[in-house]
This record gives sequence, structure tokens and C-alpha cells, in this order.
Amino acid sequence: MNSASASVGPSDFRILLEGQAGKLLRWTQPGQTRTVWLNVAAIAIGAGLYGGAMGWWRDPLQGLYVAIKFPLIILLVVLGNALLNSMLAPLLGLNIGFRQSFFAILMSFAIVAAILGAFSPLVAFLVWNAPPMTPDVKSTPTYGFIKLTHVAVIAFAGIAGTVRLFQLLTQLGGSKTVARRVLFAWLAGNLFLGSQLTWIARPFIGSPQLPVVFLRDTAFQGNFYENVFRTVAGLLQFD
Amino acid sequence: MNESNPTGPLIPPQIPTPPSPGHRTDRPLGELPDERETIPNAVAAIEAILRQPRRVMYQLRQPGAGGLIAGMLFVAVLCSVVYGVGVGTFSGGVQLWAAPIKTAGGLLISALICLPSLYIFACLSGSQARLVEILGLVAGLMALMTILLIGFAPVAWLFSQSTNSLAWMGTLHLIFWGIATVFGLRFLNADFSHTQARSNAGLNTWTAIFVLVVLQMTTALRPIVGTADTLLPEEKKFFASHWVECLKLPKPAARD
Repeated sequence: MNSASASVGPSDFRILLEGQAGKLLRWTQPGQTRTVWLNVAAIAIGAGLYGGAMGWWRDPLQGLYVAIKFPLIILLVVLGNALLNSMLAPLLGLNIGFRQSFFAILMSFAIVAAILGAFSPLVAFLVWNAPPMTPDVKSTPTYGFIKLTHVAVIAFAGIAGTVRLFQLLTQLGGSKTVARRVLFAWLAGNLFLGSQLTWIARPFIGSPQLPVVFLRDTAFQGNFYENVFRTVAGLLQFD
Repeated sequence: MNESNPTGPLIPPQIPTPPSPGHRTDRPLGELPDERETIPNAVAAIEAILRQPRRVMYQLRQPGAGGLIAGMLFVAVLCSVVYGVGVGTFSGGVQLWAAPIKTAGGLLISALICLPSLYIFACLSGSQARLVEILGLVAGLMALMTILLIGFAPVAWLFSQSTNSLAWMGTLHLIFWGIATVFGLRFLNADFSHTQARSNAGLNTWTAIFVLVVLQMTTALRPIVGTADTLLPEEKKFFASHWVECLKLPKPAARD
């Protein structure tokens, strides 16, 4: 039995959140399968709870859907870019293997999810206090406030996860310059894929005029960047 | 159960940071023992070109480097074919087999067209590299490019399933190809610096030629992303004018 592996448990979330690089580095070594599950559990529970709170305003069923979709997006980003990220790291000067790059990114997302999970009761409380969604909800201050709250919480969690990932990469590579380079490349790739996955998986907050669905019928039509481009083009035409 | 560690936190030894492939170094190739280890097969070649580019560079200068070159060419063809299938999923049908052939064939033909000029430029720059070493350089460039493209393949596939815009998909593939080419050229540049060349001017010129040739190949072998009545074009075009035309194509039907 692998004693290092056996020592991993829920209490090790503290190690994750504190970003104890020395111990986290040990998690990236071969035979640490349980740490993978710990991170996956953190993502499923943390992001799931936050997603549930996010969708609950529209409908409890919408909350359930978002509770499934949110962790799924995170895991798909980790898996979808795993190969690319493991190739970019050595090419940018950080000689780590597939396992280490995969774990490093998984851990950073687990930290993000843990923070989101911790904020989920607050968001749920906010939603509980909000008036029910009405057809004109998007023009109300409540809608704007809830949206801004989500942006602030997700941004805070993202920054915290990124800082921890940077610390881990610095430990792995021994150089802040290399760590910064790899971090930037990974973030760019994850943001690119994550934006599109989020676009496909919409709705999250939901809209009172549209039915509660897991994925919209138009999920696989168009993409996030085309939409942004058309919006910008429309603004520049001053029509 | 949490076990306390009497010796304190276990911190693995730091992994020494190797110079990046594009990083110039005066250290002679083969100075370190791991650089002198032979590369037995294509899988080891993939690993080496990503993590130990200097090992590949050293092995390319050893007798019997033909096997390594063949291995890297095999990797390049295989990875291009796999990426090409991803490209073909946008249109489906005939493109599922035509796009992989065109992707792999186009890259090989581009390399073949550009190989003599690289050799001439290398000689003019004072490089001592033999033709087989130059071939190795190009094989390494193609292998690294296509391996990276495989890394981009899941993202490309996802986008190909969620858009009808030919211009968007073409641009996306070009961006991925551009990133892969930058890394491939960094490898080529680093390797070239060990050939005793007096100047990089020839290599820089060749780089521009290679990029132009590959870009033109995308037009010469069109359609690769979209569809057409014929497998190969009937009209000759410069790639820039073809791309401008593609960007002017009617937008896909409006969606809700």
C-alpha cells in the first residue's frame, strides 16, 4: 500500500488551499491516484454547488442542470487541453511530464472549485432574497447585481487558482520567468477552450422567456468568438 | 490516516530547467550523457523532440541518423493525417479522407520543395551540415509542428462541430498551424546554430520562403476545410486573394 497515497483525505483540502507547494509536488508523483480523485471530487462538489446556486434563481431544475454542467466544463477543459498543455510546458522550458502538467492544472481548478463551493451558500442566499425572475428581469438592478456578483466571485476564485498554479510551476521549474511563460500559455489555451465550452453549455442563469433545458437547441450552432466578433462589428457599424 | 513525517516535508529535488529549444547555447551537443542516448523508435523520437531537443540534434549528426529521420517523418505523416481527419470533420463526407491526405501530402511536398533551398542557404552561411543533416532538420521541424497540431486537435474538433463558418474554421486552423510552426522553427533555428553557420540571414530568408510555400499549398490543394465540386482546384490563385474571397462568403443563416 502506498502510504503517501493513503494519507490523502478530505483534510488535505487545506494543503490544496494553502498551496503548500512541497506537498502538492508530492501529489504529482506516480502512484498518487487518490489525489486525482480528491481534486475531481473538489471540482464536482465545489463547482456543482456553485452552479446549483447560480441556476436556482430561474428554477430548481435549472439549478440541477447547472450543477452538472459547471463541473463538467471544468473537467472537459482539463482533459481537452491536457495533451497540448503537456507539450507546451517542455517547449517553453519547463521539463515536466504529462502527469505533472495534468495534475498541476487539475489542482488549480480544484482550488477554484473549492473557493466557488465556499461562496455557494452566499450566492444561494442572495438568490433566495431576490425577487422571482420576470420577463423584464434583464432591465432590473437585481439582475445586474446578481450577474456582477457571479463575475466577482468567479474572478476571485480564478485569480486564487492562478496564483497557486504559478507557485507550483515555480517550484517545479525553479524559475519565475519560465513559470510565467508556461502559465500564460496554459491560461490562454484553457480560456480559449473554456469560453467555447461555456458557450455550448448555456444557459446558466437562465431566462424567463425560454424553457428550462440542459442544453439549448442551438448549443452547437455558432461559437463564442463569432458572437463577440459580430457584436463588435455591429457596434462599429453604428446602425 | 495522516502520518507525520519526522524528517519534515518531503520536497522532491528541483528539476533543472533545460534551455528552451529556441535558446542558443554554446555548449557542444552530446556533452551530457543523456544526449548521447540513442533514440530507438518513433515514440521515443516524439518524447525526445519535446523534452530533449538537444538529444535529437546530437543524434541527427551521428552515423545511422537515417532511422531517426525516417521515424520523425513517419510521426509527421501520422500526426498530419490524424489532424487532417479533425479538419475533415467540419465538412464530413469526402473530406474525411481527402483532408488528411491533403494535409499530410501538402506538408511533405512543401518540405520537399523547400529542402534544396535550405541546403543552399546553409552552405552559403558557412554551415558544415551535410544534406542528410539538413533533411533531419526539416524532419524535426515537421515532426514537432504536427505533434503540436495533435495537441490542438480536440479544440479544433470542438469548434468544427459548433460553427458553420468556413472563414472562422479556416482562420482557427491557420492560427493553430502558425503556433505550431513557431515552435517548429525554434527547433530548426536551435539546431541550425550548431552547424557552424556564420550568419542566420540565410535561415531567416528560408523561413519566410517555407511559410509562404505552406500557405500557398493550402490554396493549391483547396478545398481542405470546405467543399467543392472537384477534389482539386481548377483555377489558379494566390493564397491571399483566395482567403479574402473566403472571408467575403455569405454568412451562415441567422440563428436565434
